[in-house]
Amino acid sequence: MGGLFRLVVASCLTIELLASQNTEPAYKLDPNAWWGPECTKYHNDTSIRPFEIVFHDKMIADLRYRLNNHRKPVPPLEGIGFEYGFNSNILDGWLQYWAEEYPFKEREIFLNKYPQYVTNIQGLDIHFIKYRQKAYAHQEIVPLLILHGWPGSVREFYETIPHLTSVNKSRDFAVEVIAPTLPGFGYSDAAVRPGLGMHEIAVVFSNLMKRLGYKKYYVQGGDWGAFIGSSIATSFPNEVLGYHTNLGLSLTQKALSLTLFGSLFPSPVVDPALADRTDLLSGHIRDAMITEFGYMHIQATKPDTLGIAMTDSPGGLLAYFLQLISTGTRSYFLNLEDGGIDKYYTRDQLLDNIMMYWAPNSITTSFRIYAESLNRRTLALGISEIPTPVPTITIHASDEIAYQSPLLLRTKFTNLLYTTNIDTGGHFLALEMPILFANDVLNAIAEFRNWHAKGGHGNGELLPNNNG
Amino acid sequence: MSRFTTVLAVAAIAVAFWYIFNWLQPPKPPQLDPNAWWGPIELKGREDISIRPFEIKFEKKVIDDLKYRLKNHRPFAPPLEGVTFEYGFNTAALEPWLKYWAEEYKFADREKFFNQFPHFKTSIKGLDIHFIRVKPQVSAGVQTLPLLLLHGWPGSVREFYEAIPLLTSQNSGYDFAFEVIVPSLPGYGFSDAAVRPGLSLPYVADIFRILMKRLGHDKFYIQGGDWGAAIASAMVTLFPEDVLGHHSNSAVTQHPHALLRTLLGALIPSLIVEDHLAERMYPLSKHLAYLLEEFGYFHLQATKPDTVGVSLTDSPSGLLAYILEKFAVWTRKEHKFKSDGGLGFRFSKEKLIDNLMVYWITNSITSSMRFYSENMSNKFREMNLEAFTSPVPTWALQARDELVYQPPAVLRAKYPNLLNVTVLDDGGHFLALELPEVFAEDVFKAVHAFKKWRSTHSKTDH
Repeated sequence: MGGLFRLVVASCLTIELLASQNTEPAYKLDPNAWWGPECTKYHNDTSIRPFEIVFHDKMIADLRYRLNNHRKPVPPLEGIGFEYGFNSNILDGWLQYWAEEYPFKEREIFLNKYPQYVTNIQGLDIHFIKYRQKAYAHQEIVPLLILHGWPGSVREFYETIPHLTSVNKSRDFAVEVIAPTLPGFGYSDAAVRPGLGMHEIAVVFSNLMKRLGYKKYYVQGGDWGAFIGSSIATSFPNEVLGYHTNLGLSLTQKALSLTLFGSLFPSPVVDPALADRTDLLSGHIRDAMITEFGYMHIQATKPDTLGIAMTDSPGGLLAYFLQLISTGTRSYFLNLEDGGIDKYYTRDQLLDNIMMYWAPNSITTSFRIYAESLNRRTLALGISEIPTPVPTITIHASDEIAYQSPLLLRTKFTNLLYTTNIDTGGHFLALEMPILFANDVLNAIAEFRNWHAKGGHGNGELLPNNNG
Repeated sequence: MSRFTTVLAVAAIAVAFWYIFNWLQPPKPPQLDPNAWWGPIELKGREDISIRPFEIKFEKKVIDDLKYRLKNHRPFAPPLEGVTFEYGFNTAALEPWLKYWAEEYKFADREKFFNQFPHFKTSIKGLDIHFIRVKPQVSAGVQTLPLLLLHGWPGSVREFYEAIPLLTSQNSGYDFAFEVIVPSLPGYGFSDAAVRPGLSLPYVADIFRILMKRLGHDKFYIQGGDWGAAIASAMVTLFPEDVLGHHSNSAVTQHPHALLRTLLGALIPSLIVEDHLAERMYPLSKHLAYLLEEFGYFHLQATKPDTVGVSLTDSPSGLLAYILEKFAVWTRKEHKFKSDGGLGFRFSKEKLIDNLMVYWITNSITSSMRFYSENMSNKFREMNLEAFTSPVPTWALQARDELVYQPPAVLRAKYPNLLNVTVLDDGGHFLALELPEVFAEDVFKAVHAFKKWRSTHSKTDH
């Protein structure tokens, strides 16, 4: 029955693919769209202002009160781990840590260790880190726009930034990191009107880089950062020197058809050793899409409803986030009573990240990115269909939520220079493996520079894959 | 033919092949585990099967804590400009509700209101099951018929409070009235929740069959909406000999023949649905898009109920928004485009807060959501309950804005003795609460038809 179903769906989509015209999709992005209050449009402050994160005493006291007085959830069912979601047996331990042991003032100092700023782009105050180390005279300073996702934040990059910006005499470049907070997240303003989806955010970030004086730059992204980065590379190919991602995905119709075809006949489509990561219609990938994507479904349709509970209950917010971080890090964590959360992260790391939502009270507005991006309007923009010639390099962790082979990626990224597959790591790669992550990005930048130096003519030829 | 039509045609052919394949191999009826036990192991063999009176209490400690949380909620994000309920519950409409609940809702009065009917508990399969039981006040010569009323999510026994007096009193034109038994589903309200996985539809059906027998009703009528309708469907599938008649206001079947007929109807609607009702189910793409937009909660609860349960347990504002969003948009589809969600349309604040209190004071939101996970589990789906027909006479009451509509031609795939349907030009998902007179009248009508049918189909026990 499963095989028959696959055959039917693959046939339908092949019909779909063959029948669809390859016309130029509509391209309606407004570079001057205004996302703030209408009245601010004519008195816009374009200065770049230093910013400091502050954990106010009042906020801390209120948070502690809520944590210490949370209503006890019902006990979990017998004999399960995280199969029904966050196992409430471990909730008290986490909330007690957050209320009594998490050192708020120390963490505030830690979070301010990198210079941060805000500047108003299209009506929104955008918060960002901008940081580099002292380079050698012979080194070119290259800007790297690095983009987080949901439920992440710039906090994900704190351990990797020192390595990304490390100055190595043997390299002819040194990296300046620009790590913005997505609009509606953390300390960035949220849009006041509908329409700010991933492609519109790409415009905001392109404008941000212009404001900071960068005509050309590199882009790195994971999760939403990957989609926004891909969008920037598509809409502004002359600005992006190279695109690195740890969630490489082509959303073209061709890629979808190839995926379905590949689920029946894997070998033309994907390396047999990696076939298991990509079989969408059978086994654990399909189940994962159903079992793991409930959050995406509700956030894409009723973000404001769910946001009310998450705004009001820090325990609720913690459970929601940590469950995602658990299964997003290793799929087998689903069967562990503690969700394996302490295996690769410290509690302070994860609470720092949650504080980036709790303190600025931005959980509801962060949910809205799903509703604004997963809709017909975004689809109609057709930007995901348009291939980009920007040189691209990807890294694929073993427990990332989705995998596409180079064949599929090249339906979107025509100059995919190489891909790296590692047999470890999860969705939050920069946070989990900061050194490996930084090295891969630095190697990618070196490769991009090489590619440009050689004239930058891609004929789509892939360099040998890295597997390690 | 358009591309989508091609897809449908291919899908219909595939389903046809599958149906033929299955017809050649008749499926085996599912077997329930007779040793299923849902409470603590220690209780086995020592449970109290007596029927104990029960009173609902709104404890002062709970009320004071509730008021504090409502009054001290964190500031909520304002809605986007020009938006009503399209992104979910509009926070601009929230404050009046929170203020009402904290400062105007009369807790003591409402507690009395809840206790106007006699409540009981009895232990079944390890769980204390709560139920209301009201015997009719009628003159001699009026037959008393047992009627099991089943609520769903995010409802409760409260949904039936206006209908109960109508069902338990004399109704001119009928020579019978009902003794109503209105349980809280396991894991909901005042019924215990299972302590181990596996309490899916058929096992809840079994618990309610035992309940009715324990109350002395060897055979009985059932009425259900939402999950209540699904439980009723399981009961008439597994225990057809016990059920005299089956009334549903959320009738929907996924029997393979039903699916096939629905797909064929997408090509030629007149084959399976009356012209003026075709728009309630076609075009399929429009209705599937609607379901996709509305079923995020279902997806989340079917997979991670315990996660979202933490916040809904902790924040009454969060619980209110989460639950009232459904009362808003499932009552009228167009209420999604009203700034207050149309919540004042036919529900008083009092009624809806009553229902919320059932979830809040029993702290049952998490266990209520687990029902979704249990019913989407592989274990349950392998039982393939939908593939079996039921001979029990059935009647469907179909409100205009109910989430899913299936015409008689489709419903008969599962219920060959579908006697009739009442199609309303009014009403939504929470029909008993919204239109209690219409609801009650239709139940009388249906049971009258069931009785008539039985008298001419006496091969089944009467």
